[in-house]
Amino acid sequence: MTNKKRSLLDGLVSGNTVLSGFMVISPIIVCGNTVMNALALIYAFSSITFISVMSGSFIPKKLPYGLKIMIYAIIASIVYIPVRAAAEEFFPDIIPRIGIYFMLIAVNSLITVQTEAKFYRMTKGKMTLSLILHILGFDAVMLIIAAVREILAYGTFCERLVDADIIISGFGEPFGGFILLGLFCGIYRGICNVLSHDVDVSGGDADVSNI
Amino acid sequence: MFLISEFVVLLTTNLILTKALGTSTLFIAAGNRKNLLWTAITITIFTTVGSAAAYLINNLLPGNFTDLRLLLYVIVIGVLYVVLLSILYFADEKNFGTTRKYIHVSAFNCAVMGTLFTISEYAETRPSLNNILSFVIRGAEAGTGFILSAFILMAAFKTLSSKEVPLSFRGFPAMLVYLGIISMAMYALV
Repeated sequence: MTNKKRSLLDGLVSGNTVLSGFMVISPIIVCGNTVMNALALIYAFSSITFISVMSGSFIPKKLPYGLKIMIYAIIASIVYIPVRAAAEEFFPDIIPRIGIYFMLIAVNSLITVQTEAKFYRMTKGKMTLSLILHILGFDAVMLIIAAVREILAYGTFCERLVDADIIISGFGEPFGGFILLGLFCGIYRGICNVLSHDVDVSGGDADVSNI
Repeated sequence: MFLISEFVVLLTTNLILTKALGTSTLFIAAGNRKNLLWTAITITIFTTVGSAAAYLINNLLPGNFTDLRLLLYVIVIGVLYVVLLSILYFADEKNFGTTRKYIHVSAFNCAVMGTLFTISEYAETRPSLNNILSFVIRGAEAGTGFILSAFILMAAFKTLSSKEVPLSFRGFPAMLVYLGIISMAMYALV
């Protein structure tokens, strides 16, 4: 695979938002304990991030960095309003369970950090593709971790009972989320290491020291 | 005894260990003492001043416009962000390139925004705490809690990032598991 194709696809696998970039992990740790929660968060994250980043790309690049970040966050919090209203129709029982994490999606690092550090340095077409892959990368991790946690913690999948021999309720708690996400990160790195022999073990994309 | 009970309260109500708010920022802060000091100071300023503003917004905003709360909080934090950047620029232009990154890291993240929403939610359930002083104190507490979590992580940061840890788990994954274990201990205290 060429470097260009690899850099475009890195949001999905090798540069995954959560497992490699260490971003947007709070909702996964706290609310990613059932598939239904995960679906609501996936809907919120995907719609808010996509619309906000695409809209923000029309902001003049000449503006000072701090002002642009502030504008991106304001755009995201405006996008949040209709997304929230629609979510109350689609997921009426789930939204109260997610609580503040639904709102916090609007200030996620893809919008406030990665826009300037990565997306807006690309052409529009590449940016759109890369953004979609980053979003899909987050969605996949959120869904997988939530499914595993729901089965392990509650013995259910999509709120339906499954034949689980052992139930470890701690995996439904935030500390279980920390531990399981840590284990997933390690396994993901191990797989990347075997496949490419190129694993970055330092920092994370949430670090803005390169700005 | 008072100090011990306050310390336990600070641990058990810690927004990072109980709600995972600002975990990514914590990893940056715990990297070295300079990062810890600057990030802790800026986050505490954001949470404390932001909480006072959140109190005013909550009380001035009509009940049927609560969806606008996020937008107004973001505007407040945004203004504070620009003000702090301006102060840093005019106070020490020479080091502005180095110090501004801490403001960037601390402004729009889950630690700050999550604190404002958590304090507001708490005040709604306990009306006696719905006053500006209580908001400011809880905002400062959240900043102090962040410092405490950063110290806890900093104590193990070097070991968890060293060659003693298998390559796949070195750094971030090991730190997550470590925070999970500390969080589990806090959960048992409650």
